[in-house]
Amino acid sequence: MGFLDAILGGKKKLKAPPAADKLFAMSTAYVTLSSGHGIETKGVSAIVFQPLATADFEAIVSEMEELLAGTGEDTGTTITTHEDAHDYRWIILHDDDIEDLVVGVNAVSDALMVGGYGDRVLAAVFAFKDSKGRALYFIYNYKRGHWYPFVPAGKNVRDGERELQIKAIISDDLPIEPEMERWFPLWGIPI
Amino acid sequence: MAATKTTFTRDAGLQSRMLLTMFLLGALYVAFVGVLFAAGVQGFMILLIAGGFAALQFFTSDKLALHAMGAREVSPQEAPELHAMIERLCIQADLPKPKIAVAHTNMPNAFAIGKSQKSATVCATTGIMNLLSPAELEGVMAHELAHIKNRDVMIMTIASFFASVAAMILQFGFLFGGGRHSDNDDGPGFLVILLASLVVYVLSFLLMMALSRYREFSADRGAALTTGRPSALASALRKISSGMDRLPQQDLRVAGELSAFFIASPKKFIGGLFSTHPPMEKRIAELERFETELQRGSLAAA
Repeated sequence: MGFLDAILGGKKKLKAPPAADKLFAMSTAYVTLSSGHGIETKGVSAIVFQPLATADFEAIVSEMEELLAGTGEDTGTTITTHEDAHDYRWIILHDDDIEDLVVGVNAVSDALMVGGYGDRVLAAVFAFKDSKGRALYFIYNYKRGHWYPFVPAGKNVRDGERELQIKAIISDDLPIEPEMERWFPLWGIPI
Repeated sequence: MAATKTTFTRDAGLQSRMLLTMFLLGALYVAFVGVLFAAGVQGFMILLIAGGFAALQFFTSDKLALHAMGAREVSPQEAPELHAMIERLCIQADLPKPKIAVAHTNMPNAFAIGKSQKSATVCATTGIMNLLSPAELEGVMAHELAHIKNRDVMIMTIASFFASVAAMILQFGFLFGGGRHSDNDDGPGFLVILLASLVVYVLSFLLMMALSRYREFSADRGAALTTGRPSALASALRKISSGMDRLPQQDLRVAGELSAFFIASPKKFIGGLFSTHPPMEKRIAELERFETELQRGSLAAA
């Protein structure tokens, strides 16, 4: 943030959104995760956003859902939605192919951005499980164009050690958030 | 990928007023330093000593403010809901997570302190957490995060630096000025310093109040951008300013019976931290304007 932005009360909008290839890095990173480390997709991913109480917002969302349902007939992706305790909406995609999940998530965020609601997207979440069946998540922060691992280990407890191990495994393939104080947890992930 | 369209437009008027205020403050301070230098070595020494005090204040103010409010930092285990809410807002506002503190008092209030984004603390009172709905509290927290994002503590501290120097010179002058009769040398010089300090103090006080109000508007705007729900913050401000729901929650039939027992509705009891703020009505009016912008802007896009 520049000096002028600081004294005038901050940037009022995002800079250009980070390039989509940061999101797509997941499809190649998954090869490393699954082949080398036994981390498999749970066949589900989601995009989380704040729904707005405006007339066209719901229209954009339902249009997008129709679009996804349409392309889903080819790829086999199905979608469900979920409202969480913080009033955020989750559009959840089910597909065993990680590539389809990435493409689907990108389609949702694209539709929101084109509609002018890119600011409302909180994150994309991809669910995985390791060889022992423990859940782990990769969270993609759209505003920063960075990924980070999130391993919940009970109610409001996270497994920091495991997260760091995963970072070490994958940091060559995936743009990992360098500032660890921005590895924000998401409790109660519905996927 | 299409260029991002923002939900709200930039407020050029507010920013130019803010810039003008800062320019006036700066000009005033430059003139003040000029006078101090012109008055000679003595003025410079005073500046140095007073500056030292101001710096000390600057580095200890955080802990003092928290202590004065009786606030205590809370862990994610102690306040999971508050932590989760602020974490999400931080992602949306693109901020590192601040420390989170809670003060046990019924007065509904919240504030942010800290000189940098990384050392910031946001504090909410138990009063405000009980009073507001989750969406409203989210608006208030987003407002405090906007203060952190805008580095308001830093800016107001810098803005007030020379004002506190001037205030100290004034106190100093009244303490020792009366006994001056022997040294004819520095007599007139000291008088000039005193006068200049008085002028600087009064003017900078007025300018700083204006600047502070502008930054409140700016933080409200930031909150609206972060949450996308300007009306939730407006509703929160309504509740805070009256200390009770202005939108009645009670069934009309029940309220009708109860109202006989009240002589007057409970009046506002907000002071201190909100006193440098613009009138609530104006802030609420601005937020309503954002909501209109939001609704209209999106209708045009449809």
